Formats: sequence, structure tokens, C-alpha cells
Amino acid sequence: MPVIHKSYHVTKNDFIHAGEASIHVKNLLKSLNYDSDLVRRVAICGYEAEMNLVMHGGDGELSVDVSQSKVVIEVTDKGPGIADVELAMQEGYSTAKDEYREMGFGAGMGLPNIKKNSDEMTISSEPGSGTHVTMVFFCKG
Amino acid sequence: MNEANGSPRHCFIHFEQSMCSGCGLCVKRCPTRAIRVRNGKATIKNSLCIGCGECIRICESGAITASTSELNSLNSDKITIALVSPVLYSQFPGVLPRDVLQGLKNMGFTHAVDMSYYFEMFQWATAEYISRNRKTGESPWPLISPVCPVVLRLIVCRFPSLLPHVHPIMRPVALMARDVMTQFKVHYGVDDQDIVLYYINPCPSKMGIPKKELETAGTSADLHSTGALGINDIYGELSRQIKHFEKNDKIPFAQAGFEFEQCTSGGGLLWSMTGGEAEATGLDKILAVAGLNETITYLEKIELGLFNDLEYIEFRTCREGCIGGALNAIDKYLAKSAALKMAKTLGVGTRLNRERVLRLYDNNWFFPKTTPQALKTMGIQKERTFSFDELRMIEKIVGIIDGKNCGACGSPDCRTFAEDLIREEAAPDDCVYLKIRGITMDDILMRVKPEQDKD
Repeated sequence: MPVIHKSYHVTKNDFIHAGEASIHVKNLLKSLNYDSDLVRRVAICGYEAEMNLVMHGGDGELSVDVSQSKVVIEVTDKGPGIADVELAMQEGYSTAKDEYREMGFGAGMGLPNIKKNSDEMTISSEPGSGTHVTMVFFCKG
Repeated sequence: MNEANGSPRHCFIHFEQSMCSGCGLCVKRCPTRAIRVRNGKATIKNSLCIGCGECIRICESGAITASTSELNSLNSDKITIALVSPVLYSQFPGVLPRDVLQGLKNMGFTHAVDMSYYFEMFQWATAEYISRNRKTGESPWPLISPVCPVVLRLIVCRFPSLLPHVHPIMRPVALMARDVMTQFKVHYGVDDQDIVLYYINPCPSKMGIPKKELETAGTSADLHSTGALGINDIYGELSRQIKHFEKNDKIPFAQAGFEFEQCTSGGGLLWSMTGGEAEATGLDKILAVAGLNETITYLEKIELGLFNDLEYIEFRTCREGCIGGALNAIDKYLAKSAALKMAKTLGVGTRLNRERVLRLYDNNWFFPKTTPQALKTMGIQKERTFSFDELRMIEKIVGIIDGKNCGACGSPDCRTFAEDLIREEAAPDDCVYLKIRGITMDDILMRVKPEQDKD
């Protein structure tokens, strides 16, 4: 099955460019005439994942594979990892620094939002060896 | 006027071919990539034009103008009414707004109606809508102001998923046109066709908009009989009229016969500038964004789910707001200074009775017959989308060109040129990078055809 693959580098603490990868992905899907609800969900999840890289993950990669039946986003970083993944998935749980919270980020909604807006989500993380998040979005029809 | 894609849609912009130098500045500037240079002249795909006026601003040879209405009913026996955007006052520093309205009457308009009354209506209704929907949690947040028509069309064209965010209250100009039409029909005891409305404003995108689009854009059907005049169309004649009666004894302003014939408040003038609408609405979680690039950036971000803690965003695609509209007569900073001074002189405050506005609100007076979502199906089109294989081909063609987005081909950038190739609207020879290497369409197709051939 033909797949369009794109990959983006996301830099730690770079709030200025955070979101650009998601905007690219969003516009790619739009030009393919994907359902606007799917585009919206991909955009929201992509952005949350990007912000996680900017705030927690250190430098990381966001890659996307687009095929006719589904969109898969993989996010990988070599950051500190997550000690308790189950806890991190809870709404409102956040380890964001105060300075990020003052900027209006780090409300503890990132991972829960990804869970809510994607069709499938897997997360694996070990303290010290980074985090890997995969999200899948299925196209209707 | 060009119909590059054969669309019957009316265009906001007129290209005078004989004056066009084919420089391509407008091609690069257009936010919806609607313009191309073909055979040395600029042509526009009308179905993609959102009427922002950026091409008018950037054109150095004066070949691009707005399509405005003919002012031909002033001397007829029709009742001719000027609907006045307060931006007009800012074009005459030091002149009182009521004198500007009197100048319009001296030009031959039967009535000149100021718009600020309807701004107040709109802002009351907006505050009411938001407070009610905040309680119930309804509506996607933030709401997007429907006031700037270019923003509406930009959303249809590039951000259709944001249509549910468009604030569903009718735009002030629509409220005005409907109300003025209704009241004058009763007053004079005449029919629709005996009254001609002219909307005097600085915006190319309000010119002769198709009726259907108006109905759905939160505007009333009554606007179909409305012509539109650019401020720069009437500036010369209006200046002469104002100078004339300023020199002679001032004519006392006729007692306002209708409530809405009262002149502007300072608030009306503030509306003509960025932030004016936001300020007037009196909401807490509100943002004012002006400028085309800024607007696009924010719309991109709203699509990422940002700003949903805000209630309302005022967007204006023109720098400094409507006062920076493409069809103004004087410089936007001079106009801004004049408007701020006049707003101070007139004072800012509300004049309307809130009880009455609430009654109208509960009678659905403020709500259009159709929702903004219906815009999607008419008039403005999205850009043509591509199939999966086509998109992969486009990606590969961009790689083959390996160019510098020079625009010499007549398309805005290499990617759009590759799209134009796929759409069969351009030839490889148009691109200097392909031409010097002698690459033909057959070569390209050989190299980019998807692996599994379907034909």
C-alpha cells in the first residue's frame, strides 16, 4: 500500500517553532481531502505531542505515515522518560516546570488529549531511556 | 476579467491586461494562490479569490482594481441610500461625521445612514450569545468574528474545519441593510426595487457579492439590491461637497427622522480600527488580531486546538483594521490619527436600550437563515484536492525541479507549479530549471508514475 512518509525534528524549549510540524501534517492531509474531523484530530494530537517534546522530551522526532486507510504518527525522544505511565495518562497530572505553566502550558492534558482524539494510542517509556508514543487514526469509509 | 477555470463566479478583482507587466508580484502575494502569470499577463482563478485586496496593494503598474458598482442611480427617481462605514469619517481629518453625511446628501443620496447603531446592536447580541452559551458549554471556542468578510472566505477556502467556530450573529452591515430596507419601505410606502442601497466602505471583498453567498455569510437576502462603492470612488466628489458647504454657511444637520439616522458615536470610529470590536464587546477573554499573515497563523493554531480558553477572536485581514482597507483614499496612519481624535471628541458610550436588544434577540432577529457551514457548498471553493497518487507525483516533481521558488514559471512556488503540471495548467517548458535540462512531460511521467500502473 502506498504511503507518504514525513519526518520532523522538534527542538527542546523551542516554543517559537512548536506546532510547525503539526501544521505541515495538517496541510498535507487537507490537500489529500481527508475528512475535516480526522484532520482536526490529527492536528490536535500532533500538537500535544510536539509540546511534550518541547517541554519534557528534549530533542525528538515526529514522523507521520499517511496511507489511504490510516494516518500513523510516531513520536520518539531520548528524554528522561516517564516513571509512572499510568499516572501520566491521568487528566491534570503534570510534571511541567512552573515557568511552562506560567506560559499557559503544562496543564496535564497532553497525553489524555492524545488518547481522547486518536483511534489507537500506545505509549512506552522507561526512566532514563526516553519515550515512544504511537497514535493511529483510521479514515472513514 | 479572466475566468481561468471557467467558473461563473463573480470576481472581486479586475485585472486590466493592457496595463499588466507580468512581473508576478501579485502571484507571490496571493494568500490562496489564485493568481498565475500566463503568456506574460496575470490571470486569476475567480473561484479561489477571497477579495483580500493584497494584489491591488502590491501591483506597481496599476493594472489591478476592485470590481465596484456603478453609481448610476443618484439622478434617477429611485430612493438612494448610502450605508456608511465609519471608516469614511477617518478620511476627512477634522470634519465632523455629520458633515460627512451631509456631504453625501449634497452629492445626491436621499439618505445617509451611519453604521455605528448596528455595531452596538451586534455587540450587545454578541455579549448575550456568549454569556448564554458559556453557561451551557455549547459552541466550539473560541468564536471567530464574522465581521471581516475576507476572514470568512479564507476559512471556507483554507480552514473549512473552523466553520463551526464562526460567530452566528448576523454581521452589522447585514443587520443595517435589512433594517434600513424594511423601515424605508414602510416610510415611503414603496417596494424593494424603488430603493437602492449603496454600501460605502474600504473593502474590495464587499463588492457585488453574490446573493446566495450573502445569505449564508450571516447577511440578509435584502442585500441583493445593494451596490457597493469604494471610499476612493467617491472621495473626490465628497471632498468637494464638504469643502463647498464648509466655505459657505454650514447647513444645519437635518433633525434625524429615524433612530438609526443619528450620527456616529466615538465607538463607531473605534470599530474601524483593530481592537475596536473587541473593546466594544466588553468581554474578558477576547483577542484582536490584524493583518493577513497574522490571521492565517492564528487560524492554523486554532486548528491545532489552541486558544480554546478564549471566548472570541476579532480578525481583520488588513493591517490596523478596516482603516487600512485597500480602497481607502488617505494613508492608514493619518486616518487612524484622525479617527482617534474624533472618537475623543464624540465620546464613547452606548446609546441603545438593552431591553429592546434582548427582545429582538429572543425573536431571532440577529440570526441568519442559514449557518456559516452552508458557505462550503456555494461560491467560494476549496482548492482542488489531489488523489494519493497525484500527491506522491507532486512530491517527486518538486524533487526533480530542485528549484528555488523563483516564480519565473508564473506560479507562486515550485510546489504549486508541480500541482499546475498535474492539473495540466502549465507545461514543463515554463520552468527554467526543467527547460535548461530539456526535461519534458514524458520524462517527468516516466520518473514519477506510481509503481503499480493503473492505466
